[in-house]
Amino acid sequence: MIELTHVVKNFSSPDKHDASKSIHAVNDVSLKINDGDIFGIIGFSGAGKSTLVRCINLLERPDSGSVKIDGTEMTQLKPKELYAARRKIGMIFQQFNLMPSRTVFDNVAYPLKHMPKLEIQKRVRELLSLVEISDKENSYPSELSGGQKQRVAIARALANDPTILLCDEATSALDPQTTGAILQLLKDLNATLNLTIVVITHEMEVVKNICRKAAVMDHGEIIETGDVFEIFSNPQHQVTKNFVRTTSNLSKIENLLRENSPMVQVKPGEVMARLVYIYADVSDPLISFASREFDLVINIILADVEIVSDIMVGGTVVIFSGDYAKIQQAIEYFKSKNVRVEVLKDAAISE
Amino acid sequence: MQQFLSELLPNLMRRTPEFWKAICDTLLMEAWAGSICFVIGLIFGIILTVTKPGGIMENRPLYQVLDTIINLFRSIPFIILLTALMPLSRWIMGTAIYVRGVIVPLVFGAAPFFSRQVESALAQTDKGLIEAALSMGSSPLEVIFRVYLRESIAPITRATTITAISLLSLTAMAGAVGAGGLGDFAIRYGHDRNMIDITWVTVILLVLAVSFVQWLGEMFARKNTH
Repeated sequence: MIELTHVVKNFSSPDKHDASKSIHAVNDVSLKINDGDIFGIIGFSGAGKSTLVRCINLLERPDSGSVKIDGTEMTQLKPKELYAARRKIGMIFQQFNLMPSRTVFDNVAYPLKHMPKLEIQKRVRELLSLVEISDKENSYPSELSGGQKQRVAIARALANDPTILLCDEATSALDPQTTGAILQLLKDLNATLNLTIVVITHEMEVVKNICRKAAVMDHGEIIETGDVFEIFSNPQHQVTKNFVRTTSNLSKIENLLRENSPMVQVKPGEVMARLVYIYADVSDPLISFASREFDLVINIILADVEIVSDIMVGGTVVIFSGDYAKIQQAIEYFKSKNVRVEVLKDAAISE
Repeated sequence: MQQFLSELLPNLMRRTPEFWKAICDTLLMEAWAGSICFVIGLIFGIILTVTKPGGIMENRPLYQVLDTIINLFRSIPFIILLTALMPLSRWIMGTAIYVRGVIVPLVFGAAPFFSRQVESALAQTDKGLIEAALSMGSSPLEVIFRVYLRESIAPITRATTITAISLLSLTAMAGAVGAGGLGDFAIRYGHDRNMIDITWVTVILLVLAVSFVQWLGEMFARKNTH
């Protein structure tokens, strides 16, 4: 278990005499990450998430607050104890950070130097096969692709059987396909090794893909935290909403509305609305039912269903046409079925 | 052959024993001062790198003291350093002349230069590598040996080459205080007595020496670049 309590980290400003200009990289953050979790910390660049993750293995020493890992207060450790503790916390980076003058084998062997030679060889081979890159043992990092480099970096980070793996934008330098493969690998490692994984990212896709819980960070503070499904389906804070929007097709309707596209023209008496399913069983034929029940034509112009934490989240943008009172009844019906309804255009009002 | 050389280089061939001694003296100065410089410069370069603000063993006072000392000695022209350090030379080496007498000023002349070279070589190390090493539980000392030095073999080799070559020109100047060596030989005969052949042979010899050092350094650096 990782427990951060009231962690504060400031960076002094270039102007020494003006303390007000110092940067609050991490501002009073408290966070609990359970064993075996895949925990996402998402935020736009400069939100302080990289600094926060470095407070976990004390690459950045917090100015105040407590960092506890499995009950051990990290900030109180003597240097030697800290080095030992860090061996149990793997870390991978956006730029991979492999040593260019060492082969893949030697890179993975780097953290194993306390072992006898034969054991190192055995362990390195084991790790390379775990990340499926055994054939590159004697290559240099410059000969590898980004995805291969990250695999080597993961093998290296896992060398000393850590219980925690910190991923600092680990997929941000990779193309979408490779990102998917690396995320799958992390997911597998989480399952097979019961590894606690902390994922720092600015991509909602990544969080959506592998995280069970997440925290949203902005200006050094955690503004929202909880199950990914929760955050996804019902974002509270504006920053979170923006993130959720980046991954959903439903947000495209706003662009269409702004451009006044022919797709989004409503005739008098028609109502355009966004329906977002929360907790609802998407397989329920709500639209079809409403159409028949209230004698309406419901025209679906956009639809998007996503799988988050193995739960479906989705919605549609529709145009209701028919009797105006019936439309209102239909909207009430949707609301009663736990569907969030947002009226985007109401021809009866706008006329 | 002997006759041909005697005709081509009359003055040199009459002084071959002295010529050989001059070469040996130059090599001796280069080897002694070079080795000491290498060790001192490497240590200072590392200390500068790790103690500078943001370094892995940040220590502002130590950094500033070292930084100032290096700047001080870098700003004194070598020919003045040679004479200014005579008392120190006498105290350490027992003499201020001959090869023994100039080792101290040569070290003072070249080590600060090499320290700076090492500092800038180490500065090229990717910060991410340092961070990765620390995250794997490496101590600062391990980071120095297993990351900074190991990953900087090529740039340090190049720095060594440059310093070795500039040290060679310092040894020539050292001849001025009676250290002997090729520079002294060329000045005393080639210039003072206008024996042009001696000047030319010395020049050619030095060009060859510099090219060889350069080639050796480049080959070693390339072997360590991946």
